[in-house]
Amino acid sequence: MRRLPVYLVLDTSGSMTGEPIEAVKNGVQVLVSTLRQDPYALETAFLSVITFDSSAKQIVPLTELSLFQMPNIDATGTTAFGDALQLLAEKIDSEVAKSTTEVKGDWKPLVFIMTDGAPTDNWQKGLAEFQKRKTGIVVACGAGTGADTNVLKQITEVVVQLDTADSGTIKAFFKWVSASVSTGSQKVEASGVDVGGLSELPPPPPEVNIVV
Amino acid sequence: MSAININFPNGKVNQEYSIELKSVAEQFGIAELNFEGLEDLGLQYDEDEQQITGVPSLAGDHQIVMKYQLKDKQDGQPEFLSKEITLIINPDPKELWKKSIPTPENIAYYKPDSNKEFVKVETKITKKMLGLKQTKEARKDLVAASQRGRSHAIEGKPRDDDFALFFDEASEWYVMTVADGAGSAKYSRKGSEIACQTVIEVCKEQIAAKRAILEKAIRVLSKEQTQENRNAVGKTLYEIVGGAAFKAYKNIDAEVSKRAGENEQEAVAIKDYSTTLLIAICKKFDFGWFIGGFWVGDGGMGIYRKEPEYLKILGEPDGGEYAGQTRFLTMSEIMQAEEIYRRVRFDIVPDFTALILMTDGITDPKFETDANLNRIEKWHQLWRDLEGENEDRLKVDFTDDNEQAADQLLQWLDFWSKGNHDDRTIAILF
Repeated sequence: MRRLPVYLVLDTSGSMTGEPIEAVKNGVQVLVSTLRQDPYALETAFLSVITFDSSAKQIVPLTELSLFQMPNIDATGTTAFGDALQLLAEKIDSEVAKSTTEVKGDWKPLVFIMTDGAPTDNWQKGLAEFQKRKTGIVVACGAGTGADTNVLKQITEVVVQLDTADSGTIKAFFKWVSASVSTGSQKVEASGVDVGGLSELPPPPPEVNIVV
Repeated sequence: MSAININFPNGKVNQEYSIELKSVAEQFGIAELNFEGLEDLGLQYDEDEQQITGVPSLAGDHQIVMKYQLKDKQDGQPEFLSKEITLIINPDPKELWKKSIPTPENIAYYKPDSNKEFVKVETKITKKMLGLKQTKEARKDLVAASQRGRSHAIEGKPRDDDFALFFDEASEWYVMTVADGAGSAKYSRKGSEIACQTVIEVCKEQIAAKRAILEKAIRVLSKEQTQENRNAVGKTLYEIVGGAAFKAYKNIDAEVSKRAGENEQEAVAIKDYSTTLLIAICKKFDFGWFIGGFWVGDGGMGIYRKEPEYLKILGEPDGGEYAGQTRFLTMSEIMQAEEIYRRVRFDIVPDFTALILMTDGITDPKFETDANLNRIEKWHQLWRDLEGENEDRLKVDFTDDNEQAADQLLQWLDFWSKGNHDDRTIAILF
């Protein structure tokens, strides 16, 4: 079976302490429980969570949606964004199957990145690695006004911004992510074609602003 | 005392669930345990065995409460402490997939959600010796079925696959074709339909016009397998099946212009009619069978013989590095003489069990990879599966002239395969 890999890359630096980090945790839970209602996603979507603070860690390896459980996360440290992109690139290499005559490849991975600040490491190096990988849609989300959307724009065409990093707004973002993953898995199952750009995603809610 | 930290593995509706808590109790020094909220989900906690068992009946993220008493209970502490635990029960995907919305009949290019056909080719009786002696010869029949995929049914979207069958009594040539309209293309259901109809039309006409040359070349080749003789067969076959594929492309292109002319405000292009195409033509000679094919896109087409075992795949599936990358008849780069010629294949065999054409709605679940398409074990498996060796005991009876085979094949197409819910179409000569 062809899997639809979904990577969530989440900022857990010190500035996320308190309401934002709690909102992110809730958001992932809402995302997963919504997706489980969707038979396309339930059968095809695989989820991984990568967090980054002073360094990046994959806290959940690519896992079948039905087995997924969100571990506890804490906010601390700086913003090693480049490290996260580097790790993401490595994980795509090791976890996402390409088609060969002997293997039926996975769908191109969907990537959702969320950060509330500016990178504190050499992020261009990580970006260069990430860009060598083939991905489906990549959405970068700046949570609150502290996020550097100029950096995000260099990662992907699809950049959105949340005015505040409060729980309602972050929840709205994750609901949109879940709708996007649903669209992605439906599209691949029904048509055999990967999701392309922002125009193919469901319209974002009012709390989620598209950065042009 | 360390904080009690336990995670319950996720369960699934209608599937046995169990978790033992003995080790947790020991680890955290728990004297006594019980739970609240399990019964509503169809689960029980067995105090003696210290485990939760049952078959969950309700999907969702459930909060259950664990009440526990510690062995070294401190003064002033309540008798029982409690902890909330999330227990995730997944829905049964089979239940979620059950929803089926009929395709609205008022859409452009409406097509029924399923189709089937049986072409009965009756036993041939030849009279010899002034009609005093006769010989009977059972002849192979054609059967095909096509079913809309669950991924379309759940949204009330139409079937994009198609097929067509033809047997010419006069010349005894068989023609079969299947096509898979691209799910991402809005009118691919029409593309696949035009392709199949055109193939029958052109093959009928071309076989009538060219069969003398083709049959002669085949007879020559059957006696002497030289490159020159192969080329002679290839040339005429190319004119027939390659010609059919090219005309299918032209007819689709004409439909695009027609649609554009009738609906000025709508933007349509040939890629909106994208379809794959598999064609096979064949005939029985006194030395055996000739089978010629043309193939563009994914899916599969093969000559299969159970005993003595034999398998010949009439082409190669067009795949890409990642899933879902294939080629379509409607791509201009495919409609080049050299490309078409490259896709024409033929074979001469003494006999076969089945000549099978199928779309990727069948090859994906039954063969999984392109490499497996070349493995005869996989074809043995498919044939046994068709003959009833499957979970639902659905059987297609391949005895000669069994007209029920079409219905049986259509039912068989409903097989369950996790993550594989595309339109399914299969055509068999047996």
